[in-house]
Amino acid sequence: MKSRLFLFAFAAIGSVLALPGFGQSYAITNARIVTVSGNTIEKGTVVVRNGLIEAVGADAKTPADAQVFDGTGLTVYPGFIDALTNLGIQTAARPATPAGPGGGGQAAAAAAAAAAANPSNSNYPTGLRPEEMTLEDVRAGDNQFEANRNAGFTTALTVGRTGIFNGHSALINLAGDSVSGMTVKNPVALHISFATIPGQYPGSLLGTFSALRQMFNDAKRLQEMQKMYAANPKGMRRPPEDKSLEALIPALNRQIPVVLTANRANEIVRALDLAKEYNLKAIIAGGQEATAFVGRLKAQDTAVLLSLNFPKRTTAAAPDADPETMETLRFRAETPKTAGKLAAAGVKFAFQGGGATAVNDFLANAVKSTENGLSKDAAVRAMTLSAAEIFGVNDRLGSVETGKIANLTVVKGDLFGNQKTVTHVFVDGVLFEPKPPSQPQGGRGLRGGGMGSGGDATAIPGSVAGSYSISIQAPGQPLTGTLTLTQQGTALSGTMTTELGASTITDGRITPSGISFGGTVMFGGQSIAYTVIATVTGNQLSGTINSPQGSIPITGTRNP
Amino acid sequence: MRRMIATFLILTFGCVSLSFAQTSGDVFIKNATIMTAARGTLEATDIHIRNGKIFRIAKAIPPGAGAKVIDAAGKYVTPGIIDAHSHSMLSAINEGSLSVTSMTRIRDMLEPDDVAIYRALAGGVTSALLLHGSANPIGGQSTTVKFKWGKPVEEYPIDGAPAGIKFALGENVKRSSFTPQGGQVARYPRTRMGTMETIRDAFRRARDYQQAWADFRAKKTKVPPRVDEELQPLVEILEGKRIVHCHGYRSDEHLNILRLAEEFGFKVGTLQHGLEAYKIAPEIAKHGAGVSIFTDSWSYKLEAYDAIPYNAYILWKNGVNVSINSDSNERMRRLNLDAAKVMKYGGVPEEDALKMITLNPAKQLGIDKRTGSVEQGKDADLVIWNTHPFSSFSRPEITMIEGGVYFDRAADIQKRSLLAKEREDLEKLEVNRAPGSGGTPPRVPTDRIRGDLDDADRIDNR
Repeated sequence: MKSRLFLFAFAAIGSVLALPGFGQSYAITNARIVTVSGNTIEKGTVVVRNGLIEAVGADAKTPADAQVFDGTGLTVYPGFIDALTNLGIQTAARPATPAGPGGGGQAAAAAAAAAAANPSNSNYPTGLRPEEMTLEDVRAGDNQFEANRNAGFTTALTVGRTGIFNGHSALINLAGDSVSGMTVKNPVALHISFATIPGQYPGSLLGTFSALRQMFNDAKRLQEMQKMYAANPKGMRRPPEDKSLEALIPALNRQIPVVLTANRANEIVRALDLAKEYNLKAIIAGGQEATAFVGRLKAQDTAVLLSLNFPKRTTAAAPDADPETMETLRFRAETPKTAGKLAAAGVKFAFQGGGATAVNDFLANAVKSTENGLSKDAAVRAMTLSAAEIFGVNDRLGSVETGKIANLTVVKGDLFGNQKTVTHVFVDGVLFEPKPPSQPQGGRGLRGGGMGSGGDATAIPGSVAGSYSISIQAPGQPLTGTLTLTQQGTALSGTMTTELGASTITDGRITPSGISFGGTVMFGGQSIAYTVIATVTGNQLSGTINSPQGSIPITGTRNP
Repeated sequence: MRRMIATFLILTFGCVSLSFAQTSGDVFIKNATIMTAARGTLEATDIHIRNGKIFRIAKAIPPGAGAKVIDAAGKYVTPGIIDAHSHSMLSAINEGSLSVTSMTRIRDMLEPDDVAIYRALAGGVTSALLLHGSANPIGGQSTTVKFKWGKPVEEYPIDGAPAGIKFALGENVKRSSFTPQGGQVARYPRTRMGTMETIRDAFRRARDYQQAWADFRAKKTKVPPRVDEELQPLVEILEGKRIVHCHGYRSDEHLNILRLAEEFGFKVGTLQHGLEAYKIAPEIAKHGAGVSIFTDSWSYKLEAYDAIPYNAYILWKNGVNVSINSDSNERMRRLNLDAAKVMKYGGVPEEDALKMITLNPAKQLGIDKRTGSVEQGKDADLVIWNTHPFSSFSRPEITMIEGGVYFDRAADIQKRSLLAKEREDLEKLEVNRAPGSGGTPPRVPTDRIRGDLDDADRIDNR
């Protein structure tokens, strides 16, 4: 007992010692500084102390006690912000609620599992509980954000992605020992997806809109009743203490923005219509077909969290398959142009990874946007200050300015070129130095990703190729199957087969910390994209499989 | 045959967005045979269109300078076809979870990029009643649209068209073909009598709700009642402000809904399907309901067993307003031939047969003041046919809505090579190239899944 107590005390002291570089200061000298809020400083110094930017300028003084980095050849950016993620959510993944046709025992089982996994005394079913706070599900721990930081990200908006009301999002810094310390702003916005609740009302998109309307109507009425009751409770039944409806009142009063997930044209129109009907302060998330609605977006003062998860063709060509629709072909061709068109029209937007994207795709597709009409300055702004503005934290984040939070990303080489390396990342003034990547950053990490890295001198890691018996701990429906991996240099290809069918893996690669790949499966009539991040030790594979439904463990054993 | 396949392919995958629709500027259709659907057939006559309306119908009108002139010599002009029962351009059709889903709105589900719209225009259809499915005794609120292909979604619903709602009776509602899966509870009602109870109960609740608001407005109560998305549309029915379109096949159940309506003091707008309506034609006429039918489909399921080809004729003979609908993306493209059938079975006169796909549905939807016939002052919603529209060789050459051309066969043919070229270019792009070889089989294209909508009584949650 005593020794345990001692250990605990030691651990506590240890964590105090590791507090964000208290007193420690850093100076990056001779660097190019892209302040975003003002002019770019071609050669200057940034000083970081106590988690804040202490000084920035062409002739800012380097403090005597600072650890100095010579920034010659380096560019300092504000830390990159991913404007919509589910980073840091560590609780058992909420059960899948596929947004497709309902019905079937599977759906009912999923609904039952949802209720069990997420107990609440709300009057509303799981999926229609706006009071939920994503931050409750966030856990601290630096390691989980390593890949994101290595790619230059210091901050992310995070929200659970299930249900119709996805709950409230939080803006978190991607490092820190405690959730309280990591949090930049909470709540940031109420999030809505046009999803359904399988096996019950609303089981179709028709019902989704009716259910939303009824809840907004009832919340309006509740607010009115609360006012009447506060003025004079006598002779009036007390208004219900309804936490779900109460959570909608700030949204109805425009005190908190409402992020509506809407990527395709029809969804965007519906989101704008709903926002107009209830006078919501709307933000569109997704927005890849927003170009056609710039007039309405501006008229309704609506920002876009533009998804950089560009559509790509995932199935193999089969000679007997019907040709793809022109709509699909055009959509893929047009998506990289959206950012440029929004910028030209003066619509406020910030970039987001779009969920299922591998982290390097973010920058790669931001670069693609600059090749399709977006200025490089606007691209940087969309991943820094614009996001901070949309989330109402531009007074403390999003640019390299004295007094702001010391979130900085230092890049060697051209951010928009092929040869670039993130050399230093500061999160709340704490320095992280990414290890040199095993392949050039920013290359299209998609098909053929391994081919571009032929000249890479990094030693090829041990072979992970082989056939694995895998087990996926999906709540309510554990899956088993086979994962076959073929390795070429640091590129992986292969197939993952489970009860949900066979899926060709995409974007497979060996990373410094393990392996990663993506793919899509059909579930509930929907194509669902997933990514797997795992480590292979000997013949054991273990990691997580991430999809819009959440993050669940995957384990495997390599067959001899 | 090969040409037909090519046409089909273009229509399927071309998603032709011919955006030459125009709404102003004078248009002259010259020397046409005009089947007015109101005042007989006029030979070698001109139509002068101004500001989207039919300005004048007469022989040899001299076209003004700068006007667009369409030579229609040897061709036929009819009003644009109106489909009084459609589920086209919808993202979802049924909210099957509850027995009463009057809170749902078809208006929320419109997909102006559904290629079924363009195909309907190519079949001469200009307007449609878009209905909720038939999974519930009381379904969702309907929307009446014009197929303004290429226009933003807000331009589809017809301004001033009366509100509507879908009701349903019989097999679909009591879920006869629906077996609950493990963990699912069978939804009430499971019988025809349960169906009537469900509807009656809903109207009783609606009356209470109506009274609650009346009391509040009269200051008898202090706290405002909730704005109830479910009951508000039912109050509108009781107040005669919302048209009931009631799906059903058997005459007994349609008789039941007429009686229930009389009990609550409202009138049923249309009996949808009504394949046995001929059995109760006098009762329907007395109530004043319209009937919207298929001309085929007899015995395609148990409750359609007593359908006969003379249904339309008998209803017409009894003075009932009959329309012929499609309930299908596919049948919608050839409603003209469905109308032709009622001339053969019983001998409905030509003009009355044409009315069954034009003026009669316009009346059922409450839009006959502005469309449904070729008459001065009405919207120029017109179809120019290569030959008599009741001929099996007929096809629309131009379909216009409010004077704007939304389908032009000649332009479509011209555009095909451009589309083929565009497709070729798009397919060359890296993003559109298929990755690697092998892998999973291709997904069934969504278009093919949507083909299931053709089944009139499909009741799953699509």
